[in-house]
Amino acid sequence: MSKPHRLSTGGRFIDRTKRIHFSFDGKQLTGFAGDTVASAVHANGQRVFGRSFKYHRPRGVIGLGSEEMNALVGVGDGVRHEPNLRATQVELHEGLIAVSQNRWPSLKFDVGAINSHVSRFIPGGFYYKTFMWPQALWKHVYEPIIRRAAGLGKAPEGRDPDTYENIHVHCDVLVIGAGVAGLAAAEAAAATGAKVIIADENPRFGGLADISGGTIEGQALPDWASVKASMLADAGNVHVLNRTTVVGHWHHNFVMLFERVADHDPALLAAGVPRHRLWKVRAGQVILATGSIERPIAFANNDRPGVMLASAARGMVERYGVSPGSSGIVFTNNDDAYQTAIVLKDAGVGVRVVDSRSRAEGALPNKAREMGIAVDTGSVISAVNTSWGGLNITDVKVASYRKGQGRVIKEAKVACDFVAMSGGWNPALHLWCHNGGKIRFDDTLQTFRPDRHADAIRAVGAANGTFVLSNILEEAYAAGSAAAKAVKPEATSIAVSVPTAVQADEKPLEPIWFAPATGKYNEGNKHFIDYQNDVTAADLELAQREGYESVEHTKRYTTFGMATDQGKTSNLNGLGILSEATGKTIPEIGVTTFRPPYTPFSFGSVAGPLTKNLFLPIRRTAIYQWHLDQGAVWEPVGQWRRAYTYPKAGEDKHASIDREILCVRNKVGLLDASTLGKIEIKGPDAAEFLDRMYTNMFSTLKVGKCRYGLMMNELGFLSDDGVTVRLGDDHFLMHTTSGGADRIAAWLEEWLQTEWTHYRVFVTPVTEQWSQFAIAGPRARDVLAKLEPSFDISHEALPHMSFVEGKLGPYPIRLFRISFSGELSYEVATPSNFGLGLWKDILAAGAEFGLEAYGTEALHVLRAEKGYIVVGDETDGTTTPVDVGLDGLVSKKKADFIGKRSLEQSYLKGPDRKQLVGLLTEDPNDVLPDGAYAVRHVKDKPPMEMIGQVTSSYKSPTLGRSIAMALIQNGRSRMGETLSFPLPGGKVIRAKITDTVFYDKEGAKLNV
Amino acid sequence: MSELSYTSPLAGAAAPAGLSVSLREIPDRGMIDLRGLATDADFMAAVKSVLGVDLPTEPRTSVSWGDIKVLWLSIDQWLILSTRTKMHELLASLRGALLGIHSLAVDVSDMRVVIRIEGEGSREILMKGTSLDLLSGEYTPGTCRRMRFAEIAALLHVVEGEIFDIYVFRSYANYAWDFLLATAREPAKITLFGQQPAPV
Repeated sequence: MSKPHRLSTGGRFIDRTKRIHFSFDGKQLTGFAGDTVASAVHANGQRVFGRSFKYHRPRGVIGLGSEEMNALVGVGDGVRHEPNLRATQVELHEGLIAVSQNRWPSLKFDVGAINSHVSRFIPGGFYYKTFMWPQALWKHVYEPIIRRAAGLGKAPEGRDPDTYENIHVHCDVLVIGAGVAGLAAAEAAAATGAKVIIADENPRFGGLADISGGTIEGQALPDWASVKASMLADAGNVHVLNRTTVVGHWHHNFVMLFERVADHDPALLAAGVPRHRLWKVRAGQVILATGSIERPIAFANNDRPGVMLASAARGMVERYGVSPGSSGIVFTNNDDAYQTAIVLKDAGVGVRVVDSRSRAEGALPNKAREMGIAVDTGSVISAVNTSWGGLNITDVKVASYRKGQGRVIKEAKVACDFVAMSGGWNPALHLWCHNGGKIRFDDTLQTFRPDRHADAIRAVGAANGTFVLSNILEEAYAAGSAAAKAVKPEATSIAVSVPTAVQADEKPLEPIWFAPATGKYNEGNKHFIDYQNDVTAADLELAQREGYESVEHTKRYTTFGMATDQGKTSNLNGLGILSEATGKTIPEIGVTTFRPPYTPFSFGSVAGPLTKNLFLPIRRTAIYQWHLDQGAVWEPVGQWRRAYTYPKAGEDKHASIDREILCVRNKVGLLDASTLGKIEIKGPDAAEFLDRMYTNMFSTLKVGKCRYGLMMNELGFLSDDGVTVRLGDDHFLMHTTSGGADRIAAWLEEWLQTEWTHYRVFVTPVTEQWSQFAIAGPRARDVLAKLEPSFDISHEALPHMSFVEGKLGPYPIRLFRISFSGELSYEVATPSNFGLGLWKDILAAGAEFGLEAYGTEALHVLRAEKGYIVVGDETDGTTTPVDVGLDGLVSKKKADFIGKRSLEQSYLKGPDRKQLVGLLTEDPNDVLPDGAYAVRHVKDKPPMEMIGQVTSSYKSPTLGRSIAMALIQNGRSRMGETLSFPLPGGKVIRAKITDTVFYDKEGAKLNV
Repeated sequence: MSELSYTSPLAGAAAPAGLSVSLREIPDRGMIDLRGLATDADFMAAVKSVLGVDLPTEPRTSVSWGDIKVLWLSIDQWLILSTRTKMHELLASLRGALLGIHSLAVDVSDMRVVIRIEGEGSREILMKGTSLDLLSGEYTPGTCRRMRFAEIAALLHVVEGEIFDIYVFRSYANYAWDFLLATAREPAKITLFGQQPAPV
């Protein structure tokens, strides 16, 4: 038998009494509770999981956990499908559906594998070199083809049926990783009473304790770990998080944790448990106990399915009772991997050790030899031979090796069907580096270790390059208490005594960055460095020869260390290759940057609950539901939704807008204007303050009267407008535009708080306190009279621009006689909780006068017919009051006001300013598009000299023709001139410059 | 003419169901926004003469006297809470007492929605929307604090240990309500730093 298979005994993680049914690529398979997709598929005799990114070579499992870079699978069906999951991390559950990726048409036969045979023509940087020209082909031809051929899984289509969450949590100490070091650090920190979070990406705490050998206080490591895990879970000051990957570390210990709450159990999902939860943790101290990742060895065809890390082979046997094959080679440069040989032997699997060191005399190698395991020292694997297509390993070639040797002199065939390799262990430094932590190269370990860090973070255990069990414990317990004390110096410290540990002594490793092969290694013999991105040793050397000296450039050129893997297994091996190629030491070469996330996490968890109705906050007025019930078309105004128009059955938008406009002109209309900004301003200096904020005078305004005001910024440009009423000698109520409400309130506060601190003025925004409606039209007073006003509403008692406070029937109100339509018009405000009631009463009272609700589009047409500007339509942030013809509102008397000085600048007074004018098209049915440009001379095609642009343009049902306003160079001196507006498509609209007021020029309708 | 018709911001909102805590609107709270200078002894005295209690000057604190509560909002701004029926009388008295004293008292009873969240686990639910550390010792009864909640501004008032009032501008009432309905669902319940099943 030359297939991986389930052993008859063993498997600490699996429950052989619970059989689980699942499918892989449509094939129905079974596994046991506790299996991963990787272990279960192996148990079923299959080891190919996908095709590689570029060469489409068959690939199998390499790792044991999150370091896996090859066996990426898609899991789930339909809208629940999720691509690119590491098969070694996906827990098996009943009915699980998994598919392999990046193969077409099938795993065993893949058309793209031809790439492998033409690989000498697709070296590193191939895409950059080949698809440079012609540029036009890139977007539509090259890129789509490359994207289909390369790349990983497919994104699901359709709405995600599950829920997701975010949560913000603060803690004193965050321990990342729950292996021996993490558990020890967490215990010590928790003992002080500090609030501790300990997170681990795996379902079970303990890290690699279960495959590391040794004892603590006489207990086997996994037993010790489970006691500690239970103790921490029970503690009231500790939050334990399993299935939770710490994906990123940012400034001041802001750390993001990705918890897979329900992926492992469909029953939880069905019950509505959030699928994923993203934790945004602010930690006083961070303890990094992320352990280490075993490194592969670069030997020829080291990517064949069946070549895996020694820890992965060991884990497969010990955790899942699965043998990676029937006979294997352990290829190592260190003592630790001998544990794998011993475990395999114990499980009855054929095994032989190939050790690149000339001597292997440690406790573990000696034990292996005693068990009868053959050990070839001073040897390497120089080739891996497979059956056709690279699917099954048939044998390897073993050659003698001396450090520095370039060529293979003699080699021997050894039959086997899997290889367990170990090039030593690299501390998992990704999180240390995310926020700029420094690292240094350790010559003994031949790897990088944590160095300095600006944040309150400390690394312990294997993550710190500490591999001896007793040292790990000492370091971790010390770090745990020190971290807790750093956060809470006053905490009573309960000393936790460091337990004693026993573990086999290990002799040092000897680095091997490259195992020589027969022939030239770039001729079919690929030494893979970065499996996920299909980068070989030859690619890295080529990049060097082509001048990519900086390791960061090499990374981009070859894609080494990129993508979802972030160089977990490849980084150091790549640097080793570069070091040998350049003769520089590894520290001289430097390292590439590790970026978040550590492993990919879901967009769902980022969005959390903020989807659908929560995606964007929608602001509602008190009348929102009524608008909705009337079938209003909505217009977004900032975050507000305002009714744009209310089409009746059979009406389109244009018809309903026209109807609403004519209703206001001929009868009376009702508008929900609640979104207008409202600010109460009070104090002894309030009048003077307003004189400075507005261009026009407010200190002369009489109590009970309204005045329209213009506001500029310091540059002399219009920023807001609105009506302000004087409620009392020292008390005003300012209206702003709907969009300007918050901005203007902040603007007023800023001037009071930072510039004119001597002013005694208070500013309180009250926008939402009031529902405010415009009752506009010739019958407005009749409607008002029906509403039983508690005050005189005659023209004499309440003329245009006056204000009264009182009651309409039972409703307390403020009434402003102001108009934005040119008609007799009242704006009535009532406390918002009365808004809907009053609105309905007005509708009822107005029915006999033909009153109808009108929306914001009718409002805009009505105001345009009167030539009233809208800040933001007629102005664009570079428009002055003079430009829009409102110089009359710019005070000549006031000593100073914001923007006054700027208006004196030469270029704002210059001759060629664009000025606001009206436009009447030659064909009254032509409606100019908003923003259409007027040109001096029409030409066949642009560029044409532009002399201005349309700012507002409508069809006016009142006038039975189109109207528009525009900002035109020297517009006011060109009255009567006809301008040309060329449109896309070739049509040219011609329009005559007129006054901006199209309707009721004398304002007679206002004063009735 | 019809009767006065009163509609609170969440009058038509979906009723809570399947939540791990109790959630409801307090539809009839009277609120006064008061501005004045804490350094102005006349102002402080005038306010005390009406409210019967000194305005709180310690940031993020509140005081209460009978059915009146006063929340500190900033160095010169307070939110006075009372019943809606009492609010008019209170506002008139305040304005009377503050005549001639630089100040601004405004009825803002309709400006915000008040949502009460009550029950064990409330803090965790709120922490799904705010980055405040509600599990720290800081958030004792009486504490009030403005916060960013989900995507909007809100004011948090710790009424009692596990009773919280959230004040949100009226126009965002449905957004805040819907966010709480989503995050307070029973299956989404989470207890931080409590006893948990062992991950072994």
